[in-house]
Amino acid sequence: MKNIYKIILAVITITMVGCNDAIDITQPGRLDAANAFRSVTDLRSGLLGAYNFLDITPEIGLTASFTDEVFRGRDNGGQNTSEQNFNLNSNNGYVFQIWANNYAAIGLANRIIAAAPSIDRTEAPIEYDNVLGQAYAIRAFSHFQILTYFSTDYTDDSALAGLLLLSPTEDIFASVPRSTNGEFYTAIEADLALAEDLITTDEGVTFMGDDFITALRARMAAYRGQYALADGYAASLLSSYPIANQSQYFSMFDDTDFTEIIFSLERAVGDDYDDQGTAGGGWAGSLFAFINPNLGGGPFMEISRSTYNIMDGTSDVRLLRNVNLNESLIDPTYETNPNYLNDDVLLVFKYPGSNNQPLMNDLKVFRSAEMLLIRAEAAADANQLIAAATFIKQLRDARFGSDQPLPNYTNQQQAFGDILDERRLELLFEGHRYVDLKRIGDRGNRQIDRDARECAILAGCTLSNSSDLFTLPIPISEITANPAAVQNPG
Amino acid sequence: MKLKLTCLLTLFMAFAIQISFAQEKSVSGTITAATDGLPLPGVNVIVKGTTRGVQSDFDGNYTIRVSANETLVFSFVGMQTVERSVGVSNTLNVAMDEDATALQEVVVEAFRTSTQEKSNIASTTITASTIEARPNASFAQTLQGQVAGLNITTGNGQPGGNSTINLRGVGSINGSTEPLFIIDGVPVDEDNFRSLNPNDIESLSVLKDAGATSIYGNRGANGVVLIKTRRGSFNSGLKISYTGTTSMSTLQDHDYDLMNSREQLQLEKDFGSGFGATLSDAELAIRAQQVNTDWLDVFFGRSLTQSHTLNLASGGENLNSFTSFGYHDQEGILKRASTLKRFNFRNNTSGRSNNQKFNYATSFSLNYSESNEPNAIGTGGINRNFVIGANQSVPYISPASYIFGNGANIPVIFANTPLFLLDLRDQQVRRDDEIKIIANVNASYKFTEDLTFNTSFGGDFTDEQLLLVESPTSFNAQLFAETGNNTPGFQDNQSTRTVALNFTNSLTYNKTFAEKHTIEASVFTEYFKAHLRGFGFRQLGFDPATFSPGDGSSFIADNANNDFFIDTANANIQNAGLFSYFGFLDYDYDSKYGISGTLRRDASYRFSQSNKWGTFWSVAGRWNISNEAFMDGSVFQELKLRGSYGTSGNQNIIDAVGQGAYFVGADLTEDFFNTGGQYGGVNGLTVGQIGNNDLKWETITQANIGLDFALFSNRLRGSIDVYKKNTTDLFIQTPISPALNGGVTAISANVGELENRGVDLELHYQLFKKTTDDGLNLRLNLVGNYNKQEIINLGPGGDIPFGLRVGGPLAEIYAAPYAGVNPATGNLLFLDINGNITEDINENDQRATGKNVYPDYQGSFGFDMDYKSFFFTTQFNYAVGVDRYDFDLNGFLDPTAIGQFRHSRDILRAWSQPGDVTDIPSLTATNLDDQQFSDRDLREADYLRLRFIQFGYNLPSSVVEKIGFTHLRAFVSGENLVTFTKWRGFDAEGLAASQNGYPTPKTYSFGIEFGF
Repeated sequence: MKNIYKIILAVITITMVGCNDAIDITQPGRLDAANAFRSVTDLRSGLLGAYNFLDITPEIGLTASFTDEVFRGRDNGGQNTSEQNFNLNSNNGYVFQIWANNYAAIGLANRIIAAAPSIDRTEAPIEYDNVLGQAYAIRAFSHFQILTYFSTDYTDDSALAGLLLLSPTEDIFASVPRSTNGEFYTAIEADLALAEDLITTDEGVTFMGDDFITALRARMAAYRGQYALADGYAASLLSSYPIANQSQYFSMFDDTDFTEIIFSLERAVGDDYDDQGTAGGGWAGSLFAFINPNLGGGPFMEISRSTYNIMDGTSDVRLLRNVNLNESLIDPTYETNPNYLNDDVLLVFKYPGSNNQPLMNDLKVFRSAEMLLIRAEAAADANQLIAAATFIKQLRDARFGSDQPLPNYTNQQQAFGDILDERRLELLFEGHRYVDLKRIGDRGNRQIDRDARECAILAGCTLSNSSDLFTLPIPISEITANPAAVQNPG
Repeated sequence: MKLKLTCLLTLFMAFAIQISFAQEKSVSGTITAATDGLPLPGVNVIVKGTTRGVQSDFDGNYTIRVSANETLVFSFVGMQTVERSVGVSNTLNVAMDEDATALQEVVVEAFRTSTQEKSNIASTTITASTIEARPNASFAQTLQGQVAGLNITTGNGQPGGNSTINLRGVGSINGSTEPLFIIDGVPVDEDNFRSLNPNDIESLSVLKDAGATSIYGNRGANGVVLIKTRRGSFNSGLKISYTGTTSMSTLQDHDYDLMNSREQLQLEKDFGSGFGATLSDAELAIRAQQVNTDWLDVFFGRSLTQSHTLNLASGGENLNSFTSFGYHDQEGILKRASTLKRFNFRNNTSGRSNNQKFNYATSFSLNYSESNEPNAIGTGGINRNFVIGANQSVPYISPASYIFGNGANIPVIFANTPLFLLDLRDQQVRRDDEIKIIANVNASYKFTEDLTFNTSFGGDFTDEQLLLVESPTSFNAQLFAETGNNTPGFQDNQSTRTVALNFTNSLTYNKTFAEKHTIEASVFTEYFKAHLRGFGFRQLGFDPATFSPGDGSSFIADNANNDFFIDTANANIQNAGLFSYFGFLDYDYDSKYGISGTLRRDASYRFSQSNKWGTFWSVAGRWNISNEAFMDGSVFQELKLRGSYGTSGNQNIIDAVGQGAYFVGADLTEDFFNTGGQYGGVNGLTVGQIGNNDLKWETITQANIGLDFALFSNRLRGSIDVYKKNTTDLFIQTPISPALNGGVTAISANVGELENRGVDLELHYQLFKKTTDDGLNLRLNLVGNYNKQEIINLGPGGDIPFGLRVGGPLAEIYAAPYAGVNPATGNLLFLDINGNITEDINENDQRATGKNVYPDYQGSFGFDMDYKSFFFTTQFNYAVGVDRYDFDLNGFLDPTAIGQFRHSRDILRAWSQPGDVTDIPSLTATNLDDQQFSDRDLREADYLRLRFIQFGYNLPSSVVEKIGFTHLRAFVSGENLVTFTKWRGFDAEGLAASQNGYPTPKTYSFGIEFGF
C-alpha cells in the first residue's frame, strides 16, 4: 500500500500547484490599457476610434425638432414630442447624447495625447505628428460643442461651460466641477495651436486638417462676437472653398460633390453606425424617416410648413434638396383640411442616403456657405450693411441659379434678421438654428416661427430667445454622479 | 425521513460487516418496509452469534447460506431490528417496521453524511419515490412544492424547459439567485436538466442554512442541492427493473371568454375597422358560418410523451455496478414546433479492496437530446411567436388560407398573423442537439480506523449544436429580402462546448473518546476549472433546388454584383476557475449536544485583480432535548433544537442562464480596449470596458433557528425553521460621471443590502397506521414557506425611480391605481400621485405598491395513502401573494386592435354613452395610453393547484413471484389537473408579466414498473 501514499502525495501536490491556473486567468482577445498604445499605428487606431465617437446627429435632431425646422410626420409614433412641445429635461435623450458623445471623443483623445510621449516618434515622425495633432483638434472641437450647447452665454467668459478634461480619468468615481467659458476658450485655442503646428498632411475632408482648424476658429470667434477675427478666418477659407452652384449643391448631399465641404464626418457601410436604427444613431436621415426618404419610408418627422412655405414655388435648389417633391403629398388646403396630417406629407430629402444605403450620409460639419454667412454677420456687426447684403446676394445667386436682387437693409436689425432667415434655409437640418436664435435672434428680431396649423396642436408657436431652454440642462446622469457639476438655470 | 434513502448507507455499512460463507443451505428473501411495502436495500442480514452476513440488494433481496437451526438478524438504521429462525423454508421474507426513535436516518450533508439525531443543519431530503415516473422532462419541475422554502417556477411549457429555482427568497438583484446543484460530487449547470433522466435519481437533498452551505463558500449563497444517483450493492445478484410511462398533455384552461367568428366580425363591423367592417349583415353571417377557427386548437393540441427506463444492478463481493438506459420522447403542446427526444445511459460502479480500506466509486452518464424549441415565445413578433397566433388570431380566418410555399404572397396585415405563423412552423427549423456527459470518480483510503483520505474528480461536459434555418420560400425570408434578392433565407449554425471540472481532496479524522465524545475534523482543497469554446456562422442565401435545412448544398456564395450573400462567422473562447481550501469540525457529546463549524478560503477568477480571496465561515449547534433524562416518558420521540449562523458568497454577480453562466463578467475589474470603431473604412480602437477594481462577491449572512420533532409514537413528525438572510455587498449599478467616463453613466459595484426572512415548515401526520398487511396507511403532508424580502440599502445611487426603493421588496410593481371608467366620458380614471381622481396620469404618478411576483406563502399539502395493494397520492401546491400583469387580458380588451386581433366578450360591456356605468372604457377612450402607468392589468395570481395525483396498484408479492417478477405495479397519474385561481390566463404560475407565453400543460399519465 505504499503506492497509495505516493498517489495521495501526488494528488495534493497537483492541487496546490494547479491552483493559480484556476484563478489567475486572462481571457483571450483582451487588449488592456497598458498594451493599447505601443506604436504610432496604435495611436492612429485610437484616433479613428475618437473620430468614430464624433456624431452631430443629436445636435441636428434636437435643433430640428425644438425649433421650427420640422413638424411631426405622418408615421410619427411619439418621436420628439417633448422637444416639439419645448420640454427639455435633464433626462432628454439628445441632451445626453450630445454630452456623452463629445466626452467619449475627448476621453479617447486624452488617452492618445497621454500615451504619445511614451511612443517612439522617430518610427514615423510625420504620421506621429498628424495623429497627435488631430487628437488635439478633436479635443478642441468636442469641448467647443459642449460649450456651444451647455453654456448660457458665449460672449461671457465667466459663464460656465462644461467639464474641461485635458487628461485621462484616473478616478472613475471622481466629482469634477464645470469650468468657465474663458477657461474653455483658452484651452481650445491652445489645442488648436498645437494641432496647427503638428498637422502637416491633408488627409481629405473627412479628417481634421488646417482648414478644419481655421473653420472652427471662425465659428468660435463669431459665436464669441469677435467678428473681426471671424471675418478674417472665414475670408481665408472662402478663397479655397467656393460657393457651390445648384447642381454641385444638390450633389453635395448625395456625397458626390465636395466643392463646399471643409470638414464632414464620414458615414460608411460597415462602420459602427451601420444599422443603428431609428432617430439618430449617426445617420442623419434616420432622424426623419424609418426606412427611406420616400412616401412609404416611414416619415415620422417632416419639414415644417413654415419653412416649406418660404421656399414653395421658388427656383431655390434648397427646395429640391430639402423636400422630396416627387414623393411628397402636398395639400394646398392643409390649413383647413382636418386630415392634413395624413394628406400633407412633406418628406425631408437632405439625407437621402449614399452608397446604396438609404438615410446614411456624411455629416457636414463645416461648409463654405457657413463661412460666407459668418462674413455677412461680421459685416452687419460692423454696420457695413451693403457689404452684408452683398454676401447674402452672393449666396442667393448661387442657390437660385440666377441673379437675385441685392437686399436693402436700413439698419443692423434688418441685416441680422435677413442673415438669420438665410441661415435658416441654407443650414436647414444641419444643426444650427437652435444656436443661431440664441446667439443673434434678438439682434435680428427673429424667433422660432411655426405655422399656425402646426403650433395649434403643440404647446406653443414660439419661445423667447432668452428662454433658459436655449441652454441645455446638464444631463441628470452627470448631476447624479458628479455633484460638483452645477446645473444650468431653468 | 424517507426510509428508502437509507440505501445510501450501503457503502458505509459495508465496512462494518465481515462476510463469510458457511456450507449450509441457501436461504433467500425480500426485505420490505412495513409502512409502504417497498423493498429495502442495504439491510444487514447477519447470522446471530456469528460474523457472517450479507446485505440486501437494491430491490431488497438477499441470499445467505445458513443452517436450519440458526437465527437471522435483520438490522437497518431507522428500523426495528428483526430476528427470525431459519427453519425448513428456503425463503424468508421480512417486513421491517420503523424504529420507534427513527433518529438514525441518514442526513446528507456537504461532503459527508450524518444522522438525523446528530445533524446540526437545516436540510430536506427527497427520495426517488417522489421523483421517479413523473412525466416532467426536468426533475426540477417535479420538485415543485416538495421542499419547504424551495420556490420553483416553470413559466414555460417547452419540454425540459428551464425552471427558476429560488431557495428562501431571491438573494440577489443582478446576480445569480439559483442554488448550486451537485450531482454525484460534480457541480452542474443549474439551468439545463433537459438531458438528464430523473429516474436515475436516488435522493436529492436541499441544504438551506449557513451551517450547511457555508462550506461551499462563494458558490453556496443561494443554497445547495445535492443529488445522488442510484448505485448497485455488494453481494447481490443481477436485478433488472423497468419503468415506463405514457402521457398525454393538453393546454390548461383559460377564463378569457373569447369571441367566436360571428362576434368578432360583428365587433369589427360595429366599430368600423377591419374585415368585419367591409361586410354586409348577410355576408357577415355567411363568413361566420363558413369559418370559425379557434386558433388555440390549431397551434396547441394534445401531445404524447413516452418514457422508458431500464435498470440493471448487480454486485460481487468487492465490485458492484448500476446501469441504466433511458429513452424519453416528448411532444410539447405547441404542436410540431416544440419537442424533446433524449437518450440516456448511466453506469455507476463501486469497488473496494479486500480489506475494505480502499474504496472507489465512479459515476458516468452520457446523455443525448434533440429539442425543437421556438425562440420568440413571449415576444410581440407576429411573424415569430406562435403563441400570438394561437391566442390572438381572429377566428374568421381559416388555416386553409395558408398554402405551403406561398408565404411571399400573404398580405402583410395584422389579421393575417396566424398565416405568417403557419408558414413559420412549416418553413423554419430551430433545433438544439445536445450531448451532456456528467462523470465522476471518487476514491478513499482509510489509513487507520480514524483517518481517511478522500479524493473526487469529476466533470460536466456539454456540447450544444444549434441550428436555425429560415427557408428561401418562407414568408419571413421573402418579406425581408433585399430588392433583387430572389434566393433569400438564412442558416445559423452555432456550436458551443463547455466543460467544467471539479477536483476535491480531503482528509477526515473521526474518533470517539470515552464513549461520549465524538470528534470529526476534515480539511479540504477544491479546484474548479471551466472552459467554453464556441463558434458559428450565418449563411445568407439558399438555392431552393437543393435546399435542405442544415445541409450546405444549397448555400449561395458571395458574388460581384451585390452583397446579399456575405456570410458572417463568430468564435469565442472563455475560461473560468476557482480554488479553495476549507475545513470542517464537528463535536458531539452523547448525542445530546453538538456543535460544528466550517471555515473556507475561496479564490475566484472573477476577482483575481481585486479581492482574490474571500473567507466564509459558519457555526451550528444542536440540543437533543428528547435525549435528556427529564424528557423520559414524554410524548416526544424526538425534540431537537438547532441553530446556525454564518456566511456564504455569491461569485456569480451577473445572472446568466445556460452554458455561458460560468463565464459572464469574467474580468469586470479590468479596463480594456476593443478593436473596432471603424472610421473611414479602417478599423480603429475604442474603449471597451471601464473596470471596477474594488469588485468582490456578494455575501449572504444567514441566521437560522430550527426545531425537529417527532411525537405521538412518531405519528406526527416535522420541522420548523426560522431564518434571516442578509445579502451585503449587493452588486448593483452605481452612477459614475459620463463626462469622466466616456459616456458611461453607471458601473456595477458592491454597495447594497437585501434581506430575506421567513419560516420553513414541514409536517407529516400518520393518521392511520397499518397493523396488518391488509390495513390502511394514511399520511398527511404539509410543506410551507413564508418569505419576506426587503431592500435595506441601495448604496450612493439611492432609490431607482419606479424600480427599487429602500424598504421595498424586490421587483416591486410601481403603478397608479386604476379607478374605473368615467361615466360621463367613457375615459379611464386613475388616482394621481396625490390621490386625486384624474383622467390624465404620467410616469410620475406611479407609486410603490409593495406588490411583486414573488409569493409570500408557498408550498404544498396532500396525502399518501395505501390500502391493501392500492396506493393513492395527492399533492396540492399553493402560492399566495403573487401579483402579475395580465397582458394577455390587456390584448383581448384593446380597442385599437379591433380588426387585427381577437377579443374577449368583456369588451361588449364597453361604455357607449354618457351615464353608462361599466368596467370597460369606451372603445374610443382618449386616454388608453395612460393605462401603462396604472394597475389596470395587475392581477392576483395566487393559486391552489392539484399539482400531482396518482393512483396505483401493487401486484401482491405472492402473485408476482409466481410469474417470475420481484415486483410489479401500475399507476395512473395527473399533473396540473385543477387550478383554483383568480388569474384568468392559462397558467397562474410564472414569474414574468408575460403576454403570449408558452403555458405549462396539464398531463395525464399511465405507468408501469416491474423488476425481475
